[in-house]
Amino acid sequence: MANALLIQVLNGLVYGGLLFIVSVGLVLIFGLRRVVNFAHGSLFMIGAYVGFSIATVAGFWAGVLGAAVVLAVAGVLLDVSVFRPLRRQDPIATVLVTFGLLLILEDLAHTVWGKDTHTLPLPEMLAGSVDILGQPFPAYRLMVIAVAAAVGVGLALWLRFSRVGLFVRASSIDPVTTAVQGVNTDRVSALVVAVGTGLAGLSGTIAAPLLALSPSMGGSILIESFIVVVVGGLGSFSGALIAALAIGQIHNLGIIYVPWAATMVPFLLMVAVLVWRPTGFAGSHV
Amino acid sequence: MSELLAFSNVVAGYGGARILHDLDLRIDAGERVAVLGRNGVGKTTIVNAFLGIARRMQGEIRLAGKAVGDIRHFTAARAGISVVPQGRCIIPNLTVRENLILGAAVRRKGAWTVERVFAMFPILKERADTPGTALSGGQQQMLAIGRALMANPHLLVLDEPSEGLAPVIVDELADNLRHVADGGTGLLIIEQNYSLVRRVAERYYVLSKGEVAEQGAMAGLTKESLKKHIAV
Ligand SMILES: Nc1ncnc2c1ncn2[C@@H]1O[C@H](COP(=O)(O)OP(=O)(O)OP(=O)(O)O)[C@@H](O)[C@H]1O
Ligand SMILES: [Mg+2]
Repeated sequence: MANALLIQVLNGLVYGGLLFIVSVGLVLIFGLRRVVNFAHGSLFMIGAYVGFSIATVAGFWAGVLGAAVVLAVAGVLLDVSVFRPLRRQDPIATVLVTFGLLLILEDLAHTVWGKDTHTLPLPEMLAGSVDILGQPFPAYRLMVIAVAAAVGVGLALWLRFSRVGLFVRASSIDPVTTAVQGVNTDRVSALVVAVGTGLAGLSGTIAAPLLALSPSMGGSILIESFIVVVVGGLGSFSGALIAALAIGQIHNLGIIYVPWAATMVPFLLMVAVLVWRPTGFAGSHV
Repeated sequence: MSELLAFSNVVAGYGGARILHDLDLRIDAGERVAVLGRNGVGKTTIVNAFLGIARRMQGEIRLAGKAVGDIRHFTAARAGISVVPQGRCIIPNLTVRENLILGAAVRRKGAWTVERVFAMFPILKERADTPGTALSGGQQQMLAIGRALMANPHLLVLDEPSEGLAPVIVDELADNLRHVADGGTGLLIIEQNYSLVRRVAERYYVLSKGEVAEQGAMAGLTKESLKKHIAV
C-alpha cells in the first residue's frame, strides 16, 4: 500500500516536472515582457512534433535537443516581431496576438503533420522499468523527473550566480534602471523568451512518448500551467516550482482517488489561492 | 578639454509637452558642475533626455563628444556617463552587492571595484548581502553612488543626492563627492541644496522654466540670484 502510494507520488512528480518546465517558461517571459503568452501551449505542441520529426531520423536525444533549439530560435523571432514592438501598447494587444498565434500554430501542425495522432517511441535505453521498493517503475518516467530537476537546478544557478542571470532578475523588477546601468534589456528579454520557448520545445518532446501527439495537445498543459503561474505568483520562479509540484500531485492523485473531480481540483486550488492570497504564495519576483 | 556631455539648443519633453526649451549646457572632463533650480523646472528632464526617457524634439545631445540621434537607455552608460537617479532606484530584489555588480554592467576597467566602494562606504560592506531596499535612505544613496561608480564613469551625474538626507549625512556626501572628483571623475550635480553644491561644484547653471537663466563660476553666484531662483 505504502509502496503503491510512492509510485503514485512519483507519477505525480513526472507530471509536476513537465508542468514546471512549461510554466517556468511562462514565468520568465512574463517577468521580462509582462506578457501572458497564450501561444505557450502551442509551442509545447510544436516542440513535440519537431522533436518527433527529428527523432525519427536522428534519434531521441537529437529530437529533444533539436526541438529546444528550433523553439528557442522561434522565441527570439517572437520577441523581436511581437513582444518588442507591442511593449508600449495595451497588454491586451499582445495577448490577442499570442492567442492568434495559438490558432495559427495548431493549423500549422495540422497541415505539416496531418490529423492522425503520432506516437514518439521511447528511446531503447529507457524502455524498461526500474525496481523501486519492489515495485516496477518505468525508467523513462524517472528520466523525465531527472530532466525537470536538472532544468530547475540549472535555471536557479543561472539566475542566482551568473552575470546575465543578475541582469534578468534586475530587468524583471525595473527594466529602465537596469538599462540605465548599460544593460541592453531588449537583448536580455530576447534571450529569456528564447529560454522560455526552448523549454516549451524541450518539454514537448520529453512529454511526447507519454502522450499522443495531436495539434490540440497544448491546450490542457497551457491551462494547467496558467493555474501553476497564478497559484505560484505571477513571475515567481520558486512559486512556479512549488505550485507545479503540488498540482502534479493533485492532478495525479485526483485521477486515482476522486476521478469525478480530478479536472476541477486544480481550478479550486487556484480560486482558493486567489481569494486567500491574490499575489500567489511566493509573491512576484523571478 | 574633452567634452563629456553637451546639450545644444535642446527642446525636450514628454509626449507633446515641452519641458526644456532651447537648452545649452556643456561639461568637460574633470569639471564639477552644478545645475540649480526650483521644483519642477525640468532638472530631472535634463537627465531623462540624455537617458532616452524624455523625448528630444529639437537640438543636439552629445555624449562623450558624439552626437547621438537615437538615444537608448543604455547609451549614456556605455559612453562613460553614470547616473545616480533622483529617488535612488535601488533594485529591491537584488542584494547590496548585486546592486553594485549591476553597476559594472558596462565592464569599463578603472579604479572603482566593489572593494573600493566598500572602503568608501563601510556600512555597505556590513550589509552586503541584505536586499538593497532594506537600507536607510542615506545608505541607499551611498549604494546608488557606489553603483554608478562601479561603471568607472568619466562623468557622474547626481540628481538631487541630498534629498531626504540629514544635514550631517549631507556633509559626508560632500566629502565623498570631492574624493570622487579628485580621482578625475567629472561631476554634474543637480540640486536645490546650496550648501552641498557650494562645497563641491566650481561652476553652475541655474535653470528656470526649462532654460538656463544664469551661469558662471561658483564663486560668482550671488545671494540675490540664489534667492530669485532657488529657495535657500
Ligand atoms: N515622465 C513624465 N511624463 C510627463 N511629464 C513629466 C514626466 N516627468 C516629469 N514631467 C513633468 O515635467 C516637468 C518637469 O519635471 P522635472 O522632473 O524635470 O522637474 P525637476 O526640476 O526635476 O523637479 P524636482 O525638483 O521636483 O525633481 C514637471 O511639470 C513634471 O510634471
Ligand atoms: Mg527632479
